[in-house]
Amino acid sequence: MIKLQDVSYVRLGTADLEGATNFATEYLGLEVSHRSKDAVYLKSDQREHTLCYFAGSPADQTAAFEVSEQSDLDAAAAELEKLGHRVRLGTAKEAELRQVRNFIAFQDPTGNNIELVWRPAMSSRRYHGERDAGITGFSHIGLCTTDAPRDEEFWTKVCNARVSDRIGDAALLRIDEVHHTIALFPTTRAGIQHINHQVESGDDVMRSFKFLSDRQVPMVFGPGRHPTSSAKFLYFEGPDGMVFEYSSGVREIADELLYRERQLPFEPKGFCEWGAKPEIKEFRN
Amino acid sequence: MVELEQLRFVRLRPNDLAQAADFATRVLGLEPVDRTPETATFRSDYRDYTLAFGQDRVPSVGLEVRYSSDLDAAQKALGQLGLKTGRGSTEDCALRKVKDMIWFTDFSGNRFELVVRPLNTGWRYFPSRDAGIRGLTDVLIRSTNIEKDLSIWTGVFNNAKVRDWAGDAAYLGFDDAHHRLAFFPADKPGILAVEYAVEDVNLLMRNHYVLRDLQVPVVHGPGRRPASDQLFLTFAGPADVLFSFVAEGANISPAHQPRQFPAGPEGLCGWGSDCRVTEFNALAKGRDR
Repeated sequence: MIKLQDVSYVRLGTADLEGATNFATEYLGLEVSHRSKDAVYLKSDQREHTLCYFAGSPADQTAAFEVSEQSDLDAAAAELEKLGHRVRLGTAKEAELRQVRNFIAFQDPTGNNIELVWRPAMSSRRYHGERDAGITGFSHIGLCTTDAPRDEEFWTKVCNARVSDRIGDAALLRIDEVHHTIALFPTTRAGIQHINHQVESGDDVMRSFKFLSDRQVPMVFGPGRHPTSSAKFLYFEGPDGMVFEYSSGVREIADELLYRERQLPFEPKGFCEWGAKPEIKEFRN
Repeated sequence: MVELEQLRFVRLRPNDLAQAADFATRVLGLEPVDRTPETATFRSDYRDYTLAFGQDRVPSVGLEVRYSSDLDAAQKALGQLGLKTGRGSTEDCALRKVKDMIWFTDFSGNRFELVVRPLNTGWRYFPSRDAGIRGLTDVLIRSTNIEKDLSIWTGVFNNAKVRDWAGDAAYLGFDDAHHRLAFFPADKPGILAVEYAVEDVNLLMRNHYVLRDLQVPVVHGPGRRPASDQLFLTFAGPADVLFSFVAEGANISPAHQPRQFPAGPEGLCGWGSDCRVTEFNALAKGRDR
């Protein structure tokens, strides 16, 4: 079994690196950790980077997860190859760019680009956002799935994820005590469906709602509160149509033995208990 | 000196009673209590009613004191300030379901009623819709002369204290709640907003979406007040009066000292919510001058 420890970073291609960087810093509130000629690395917490925009196709998207040991990487590569996934060992140059010691790359059954990384760099300097969005860190991703039961099986049987709740067939998966780190949303494409950053409080969610609305950032869902994770949320659209989320107050599941996942309806009230209605394609029938 | 015990009721005169009653039940979710062709009262908590629509010439806010002797003392003190005051007749008291009462108008012309032994309900509150209302919590009032109007409260009632300032607006409290009355500078008197507490932030936000579906114009919020720490959502109601749902909010500690917050929306909302209330925006203009 592949033991995922945490979601590590997201890499997004963009045709407008400058525009994407402006959004990530001035609107989203991340901090530029460093730049190279054709990439910008952004920081949201104690980690050296959690989001990378690089010059390339917006369809080129990758999510990375951390594993504890070099041996975990080797075992994962062997297991994935046995299952018929093509596994690529990251080169030293690539690992350096990603600020990790070692990594492997593969695609999940839907075709999402996934990297498993060992020893991702921590920063000695704490995160100081470009604006006071109250961000406490990069926390989870939504992943597209073209076959929800198949992908749920991949993430829970081949990897160590557990189902925390389901909204229709969309499974919210945890790999530690946080309610979900991966959420699988049924659709017809591969790619990252949304990127979540946690903020300090519900007040921060509401302040950002005003801040971003004032700047004509398209609001696509919320402010609202998820009945599943109990988090207060706000979804908005960033560069290349990527959906970003702020949320606060996500539930933690401390007792693995006692917890039982719940089924919620795939309709607005399954996504929001305040009554907000999503404008996000993957959240609608 | 007289002790204020509780905020009890707000009496308004709507142009269209049926429309106002519909607002009270469908929008606010209050429970109808008594209804005549001219009047309607609504319950929000353990009090028999907290909102009354009727034929009164001017709107009023009702506050409870303990004894009839307190009414005598208050009437004397209010008279000495040169304010118009009067004793309620038996009929007035019966209409309000109180044992005894006096009324007075402040320097701006706002009418207040002091009542003794107002009726509580023996039956629990059962709302028309699940808005999560906990009860009437405070009233915002227009004042044409804040300083003089405040002198009434701090001069006649020994437990009434200014808790905080936002520009020249003053929050006035007399129990452990941050405020029960708040006075906002205005060019005419009147009740600005009637505020009902709801259970928590979830109910407040749920109501926000319900109001949107009901097409009720929201004029301020959702937001959080820096002074009282209350979450609020203010919307238009009948009789030219605003209504708010509020939640959370700080209680007052004995060591509390009045603080000065900025005038206008900046001092009234820590979330930066849009504000379409003239009296709140006027504060900001006043500061710029």
